[in-house]
Amino acid sequence: MTDYETVIGLETHIQLNTTTKIFCGCKADSWEEPPNTNICPVCTGLPGVLPVLNKAAVHKGALLAAAMHSEIRLTSFFDRKNYFYPDLPKGYQISQYDMAIGKGGFMDLPMPDGDTRRINIEKLHLEEDAGKTKYEHGRRYIDFNRCGVPLVEMVTGPDLRSADEAAQYLIRLRQLLRWLGVSEANMEKGHLRCDANVSIREVGSTELNTKTEIKNVNSIEAVRAAINKEIDRQTALVDSGGRVEAWTLDWDDAHNRLNKMRSKETEADYRYFREPDLLSLELTESWREKVVAELPELPLARRARFETEYDLPEYDADILTGDKPLSEYFEAAVEAYAGDPKVVSNWIMNEILRMLNDLGVSADALTLKPEHLASVLKMVDEGKINSATGKSLLVKVQDSGKAPDVIVREEGLAQVSDDSALLAVIEKILSKNPEEVGSYRDGKTGLFGWFMGQVMRETRGKADPQLTRELLQKQLDGE
Amino acid sequence: MTDEITPELFEHLVDLAAFAFNPEEAEYLRRELNKQLKAIQQLEAVPLDGDIPLASHGVPYTKQSRPDLRSDTWQPCENPEEILEQAPQVEDGYIIVPDIPHTKLD
Amino acid sequence: MTIIDQSAYAIAKKVRSGELSAVEVLETALERIAAVDGRPGSLDGGSNPEDESKVHAFITLTKDRARKQAESVDARIKAGEDAGPLAGVPVTVKDIFCVRGTPSTAASRILANFTAPYTATPVSRLEGAGAVTLGKVNLDEFTYGSSTESSAFQPSTRNPWETNRVPGGSSGGSTASVAAGEAPLSLGTDTAGSIRQPAAFCGVVGLKPTYGRVSRYGLIAFGSSLDCPGPIARDVRDTALMLSVMAGADPHDSTAAAVPVPDYMASLEKGVKGLRIGLSPDYMQITFPDPETGEIERQTLPKEIREATLRAAEVLADQGAEIVEDIPMPNTVYGIPVYFVVSRVEAASNLHRFDGVKYGYRAASDYRDLREMYRVTRAEGFGLQPKLRILMGMYVSAAQYSEQYYARALRVRSLIRADFEAAFDPDGEYRVDALLTPTTPTTAFKLADIYGDSVLMQYADQLTVPANHAGIPGISIPGGIDADGLPIGVQLLAPDFKEETLFQIGHTFESATADDAWRKIKPQVLRED
Repeated sequence: MTDYETVIGLETHIQLNTTTKIFCGCKADSWEEPPNTNICPVCTGLPGVLPVLNKAAVHKGALLAAAMHSEIRLTSFFDRKNYFYPDLPKGYQISQYDMAIGKGGFMDLPMPDGDTRRINIEKLHLEEDAGKTKYEHGRRYIDFNRCGVPLVEMVTGPDLRSADEAAQYLIRLRQLLRWLGVSEANMEKGHLRCDANVSIREVGSTELNTKTEIKNVNSIEAVRAAINKEIDRQTALVDSGGRVEAWTLDWDDAHNRLNKMRSKETEADYRYFREPDLLSLELTESWREKVVAELPELPLARRARFETEYDLPEYDADILTGDKPLSEYFEAAVEAYAGDPKVVSNWIMNEILRMLNDLGVSADALTLKPEHLASVLKMVDEGKINSATGKSLLVKVQDSGKAPDVIVREEGLAQVSDDSALLAVIEKILSKNPEEVGSYRDGKTGLFGWFMGQVMRETRGKADPQLTRELLQKQLDGE
Repeated sequence: MTDEITPELFEHLVDLAAFAFNPEEAEYLRRELNKQLKAIQQLEAVPLDGDIPLASHGVPYTKQSRPDLRSDTWQPCENPEEILEQAPQVEDGYIIVPDIPHTKLD
Repeated sequence: MTIIDQSAYAIAKKVRSGELSAVEVLETALERIAAVDGRPGSLDGGSNPEDESKVHAFITLTKDRARKQAESVDARIKAGEDAGPLAGVPVTVKDIFCVRGTPSTAASRILANFTAPYTATPVSRLEGAGAVTLGKVNLDEFTYGSSTESSAFQPSTRNPWETNRVPGGSSGGSTASVAAGEAPLSLGTDTAGSIRQPAAFCGVVGLKPTYGRVSRYGLIAFGSSLDCPGPIARDVRDTALMLSVMAGADPHDSTAAAVPVPDYMASLEKGVKGLRIGLSPDYMQITFPDPETGEIERQTLPKEIREATLRAAEVLADQGAEIVEDIPMPNTVYGIPVYFVVSRVEAASNLHRFDGVKYGYRAASDYRDLREMYRVTRAEGFGLQPKLRILMGMYVSAAQYSEQYYARALRVRSLIRADFEAAFDPDGEYRVDALLTPTTPTTAFKLADIYGDSVLMQYADQLTVPANHAGIPGISIPGGIDADGLPIGVQLLAPDFKEETLFQIGHTFESATADDAWRKIKPQVLRED
């Protein structure tokens, strides 16, 4: 059995989150709108219309290029890509062919073994989106709402080696896009679209064999599944003496299979030429420098810094830098807490993340601010409240908007740490439950937890657990 | 470098252009195109240095004469319904066209 | 003089002062149209012996709309408001412009049923200045041609000077409507000479502004890097007035230059003392390719056209200009070949959008699938001329041929531009302020004489097309009438954004020849006999 290596390149289309479309003043986001309402003469390709370039699309495209270590060209050009398709109203797409805004670039993808693999970027350019088509009863239903939305197309080299790596790349790309604030990058909403080019070759070979193109994968899991299916298919085919042909495959998510798409009638000759309705895109050196300076600390860099600066394990650092607002939340909380960052990390990874999931918001939208968290942690440290109370206190702060210490005071949540008060409660419980006391003293030591529970109930959760444990132990052991 | 448009090449162009012609029309067009090509071929004799630029526009644009890029502000079209009214076939707000058949193999 | 034969300048003045009402002016325009235009062009035109003596400038006469506009102008005057520099002036618009609520057909079956939902910038500026749009006038289909004969809306326009001749093209309806006194102004477009050539054939003034001087938003595109909307009128002052209303940057057009618009009216009376005006031997000849070999044959200009041009030089010299002879413009001869390539690539792409999906014609037949719908729609919707241009465009931009043809043509285009830069260079050898040339190689030819020969037809533009490649402005002004009674046009070409120089020289020539006998001759349709 021959050993094969998989060669994967990904072509992604990224919808930029500008306010308006790339060449006209219609909205870029029309997800909720009825069909053909977010349109104008320009984006529907009416006779006589002309494109006018959105400066925010240029800015976001440049920012992304900088983050991908791409050179931002000071002079770049738009070109027409000519072909017929019903959702392409002008019969050509305005794109960038040979002199695009981004030249070169790479992403250093962390591998599970701790290394990084450099994934090269071969193309990074701006272009306009087409409309949407629905198929039903042998007819096509066309909606131009999305037509003209700004896209960045990014194509990697054939540098990925497995479906998992491809999935990783997309996860990191999605993270980066949100981090930079250039795209919502929600694959299910089509903000991030991916086509995968897959081929196999014998291990050790450096040649590139015929590849197939997989389209219509709308989630990271679909990418993973589709690529794995295709690898299996190609492997079986080659093993049995067959030859891989350059098919275009459509991923059918509902049935978990790949279908061969009708190949384009002719090898499409797009007849690229410079778009005469647009001037060259001229950027100044100082503008370019500003864009690069504008780049925030990127996710992987921040992750590395969290590991060293806060002495956190990679696992924690990775979760805390999942998105920018969360990472900022963490750092603000650490600063306010001025204690062990690991403690903050634990509470965020558990309590805060759960809260964010439940509420469906990002960390910067919480009413429970980092300072509040720090305050709660300090109160637990001081023994003012126990940790269970602390956890519920977070929710109360989020719901009410009041500061933690205010709530503690108002609701009387302070921990009961008074020896005599606790002792009184313990004595009450022991005297009320003589049978259980007997059983315990007879050897059923497991009942200790039950007694703890009773004390907690009696004190409405406010008993200092440490102290309670000590006192209860003494009482049960019969002092 | 004198290319003539053969009937086969002509068919390819017809394909690219999404046309369809009867034989008489096709022949007339092909003949006229070849005549035009003879005029075009005059260009082959023009001596071109390596550094003569391609002129996408005749008039050069300077920093002052180029208009600014558009600012990212929503400008809703006042009459999108009028655009849709021009479509030959509309249903529920969608523009309808016949399908392109997909051959599903395997 | 009847109202409608007066200049736009005079009409606007009188409407603004209250001496005339806009509605009155409109009425005289409509009367003239009824008298001389005959039936408008239509898809199922057919032919009719009555057609032969009429102009047929119109495709769509928008009477009601015009009336509303005229009434609104009058209301504003009455209210003491400023109704604009073109208040009440009737204007015809070449039907290559989208005007909201009107059929905007490009003289093609494929857009015959298209009602534009928006208005082109040049038109809205004219209307904003108080002009009254009479309607849409005829043209070669998608502006592809130099005679207006290729229109799908027949009968196509006839030359008011002699109605068995073409008005020129593609803005034939525009120039004919002005020559026949249907309106003092018309909005045309010039891609290879489509304003200047028909202006010469019809004995009126036509200006191709600098590329980017007037917004192209709403102009149904042919050659995106060549198309220029421009004014057509009976004298230079009106032409300048119309340009001053339309010119200037537009947020809807990225190629509309942000160059300030000078006061064109102020330049009119400057005279030509001290101006250097050039003559070039390369423009005093005509070239035609041998139909068999394709070899370029050079011929001398027809005598009367040559004489009219030289006489114009004399007149200007008398007025104080310095005539500079023998300016070499060696790449002029490549103007048409380059045009065959560059314009076709752009046209083929610009016409991709006509696919029956979103607007315009969609074939009625039962087609199996989408691909077939495209083919039948486009084959039935487009006339011969668009088909030729699209096919040639596909060829010279196809992957295998693009370098050889398209890239090469764009380089030769740079050479054509360089000829003008050398002539106009203030530090160069010639340092001319303008070039004086004939506008066309012939006067108006007879209908059906040239139509079937696509190469010969294109070569009608050989003296005008270089300005389109270079982007510079050019104007054609009446320079005489030949022995057959047909107008001769002379052309002036100036550096980028120097339309005021063209107006200056043109107006001087007009004034100096105001009493020439030939200026008293009227077009056939306006003669009282």
